[in-house]
Amino acid sequence: MEIKFERVEGTSFQYRVALLVFGGFALVGLLSTLWVMKYGIGRTGMTNRVPWGLQIVMAVYYIGLSAGSLVISGLYGVFGKLEYKPFARIAVYLATLFLIAGLLSILTDQGRLDRVFVQPFVHFNLQSMFSINPILYNGHILICLIYLWALFTERKRTTTVVATLAFGWAFCVHSGTGAIFGFGARVLYESPLLPASFVAAAMASGTALMIVMIVGLFRATNRPLDDELICWLGRFLAICVLVVFYFLFVENAYRFYVVELREAAHYFLFGGFHSLLFWIGLIFFGLVVPMCILFNPRTGKSIPWIVLASSLVIFGVLCERYVIVVPGLTNPPDLFPGMEIVHDPALVEGYATYSISTQEVLQALGVLGVVGFLFLLGLKYLELLPTEARIHPD
Amino acid sequence: MALRLLTTSSAGAPGKDSPLAGKRMGMVIDVGKCQPDCDKCIKACQQENNVVQAAAHKNHELAVHWIRKVTIRKKIETDEKAKKAEAAQKSVILVCNHCDNPPCAQVCPVRATFKREDGIVLVDHHRCIGCRYCMIACPYNARYFNFEDVEVHEEDLNKDRPKRSHGVAESCTLCAHRLDAVDQDGNPSPRVPACVEACENGALAVGDMNDKTSTVYELLRDYAVKRLKEDLGTEPKVHYIGL
Repeated sequence: MEIKFERVEGTSFQYRVALLVFGGFALVGLLSTLWVMKYGIGRTGMTNRVPWGLQIVMAVYYIGLSAGSLVISGLYGVFGKLEYKPFARIAVYLATLFLIAGLLSILTDQGRLDRVFVQPFVHFNLQSMFSINPILYNGHILICLIYLWALFTERKRTTTVVATLAFGWAFCVHSGTGAIFGFGARVLYESPLLPASFVAAAMASGTALMIVMIVGLFRATNRPLDDELICWLGRFLAICVLVVFYFLFVENAYRFYVVELREAAHYFLFGGFHSLLFWIGLIFFGLVVPMCILFNPRTGKSIPWIVLASSLVIFGVLCERYVIVVPGLTNPPDLFPGMEIVHDPALVEGYATYSISTQEVLQALGVLGVVGFLFLLGLKYLELLPTEARIHPD
Repeated sequence: MALRLLTTSSAGAPGKDSPLAGKRMGMVIDVGKCQPDCDKCIKACQQENNVVQAAAHKNHELAVHWIRKVTIRKKIETDEKAKKAEAAQKSVILVCNHCDNPPCAQVCPVRATFKREDGIVLVDHHRCIGCRYCMIACPYNARYFNFEDVEVHEEDLNKDRPKRSHGVAESCTLCAHRLDAVDQDGNPSPRVPACVEACENGALAVGDMNDKTSTVYELLRDYAVKRLKEDLGTEPKVHYIGL
């Protein structure tokens, strides 16, 4: 039986309220961005010691969330698991939107937004991850659009080719995002594991997002959904979470083992607000609790529990992005080994602080608003949702 | 005498006839000669490069300091008395190190940050998009960002130098405009950087490390010098005597 896709009517009260809310977020985000452009980035929480903040955290987070399409396109397009075809259109559409969200977050963080649309193209620097990554992100958006076209026009051969390309390209996207930090000189950034760790966290957060979106959409629109499809994704999510846990363990164990990195490792794990996010937000709620749920034979087969675990993973990976970006900057470079700076009238020495400002929160909400708004429009004007999703499609 | 300044264009190798060819500009700072209470070099830099108001930003975490002085001492971690004891303190001037392998230039997506042929690392303020990746990449905390416009009094400005431009990153230029200065006939007429000129104790020297007649060459020959974070491979060209 051919899988049928359809549009939602988009006339319900819930749909209209959701559209209004996301539209409102987008508008507020735009106003906040214009305000920051007029008065300068100094009105945010960033400083000379911490020049990257929430916008960069959200940028790498949104890009990671796009990896859901990597999983689904891999399952259906590369490995031929037909039972996941119903989710392919939603997955690829969401991936496109979250890649756009990542780019928007980066764009609205630039000091001179007026130059961003010309200078990077005219004066390209292949040595810079900030030059390489936009190629990867824009390329992935293009591939996703072609993928969507192939899915909508039911071109099976093209779908397989593009899905395979998307699968491989996504690995490069997330590795490249990790390399922005991992190939850097900051003690808490520098790590050859970071590109791979980013891929793992992206797959975890992307899969978790797909689970929440699929279950939520199918329940909200009363579509039949075989539980086993979600259970399998839940098991896959559990493996992804375990891999993330493994990477985090190895990274921190290495820093603690190597004498010269021990002080930085101590600061990362126990030195500030970020440590709370790490232990409670990421390790406990983001990894340990979901693994307990998903590996448990009883709760691992229960849809509500799987959705709970997925929601916790989505939250945990957000914490992970924060503890990757910010502590690396608040931890000071050791300019004088064996010495200490007792007085610096110019710059904050020692551990710097960073507080998320209202403007940055509004900008982040604004980007989320754009994603939500476009997603809802997609549901109404594109045939994204299948009529049903069965474990044995005939 | 009126001076015409050469403009420093961004990127590119001007060629073997270029006045920059064959030079390798560096700096030597004698920590022992630097007086703790003196800030003449800092004030001179601020005046010369129109950084006065940006340096005086009410939020010192947003202030711009092309040159700054820190006080350091050996870490004492024994008992309280030893911690309070007058350990030998040193005043250390910190500036952009104008590295031979500048990570800031490597990561700049628009090549706004670049290394000149003579080794001076500069920022093209008209090209910088303000991504701040150079600030992340710099291991010396030597780069600053103009987070917002600052109010300036026109009469306080050095009209030969640009004003601060919000949304771009920058750092010490080693007063390249002074080093490149020419006279009315177009002949090279270099001047020392403002900080070197202002220092009455002779603690600072800037010059061509390849020029055997330069003060910098002689200092590097005669003294054991240290550079900051030499293990990173950035090859900084600011050297310290007595650190």
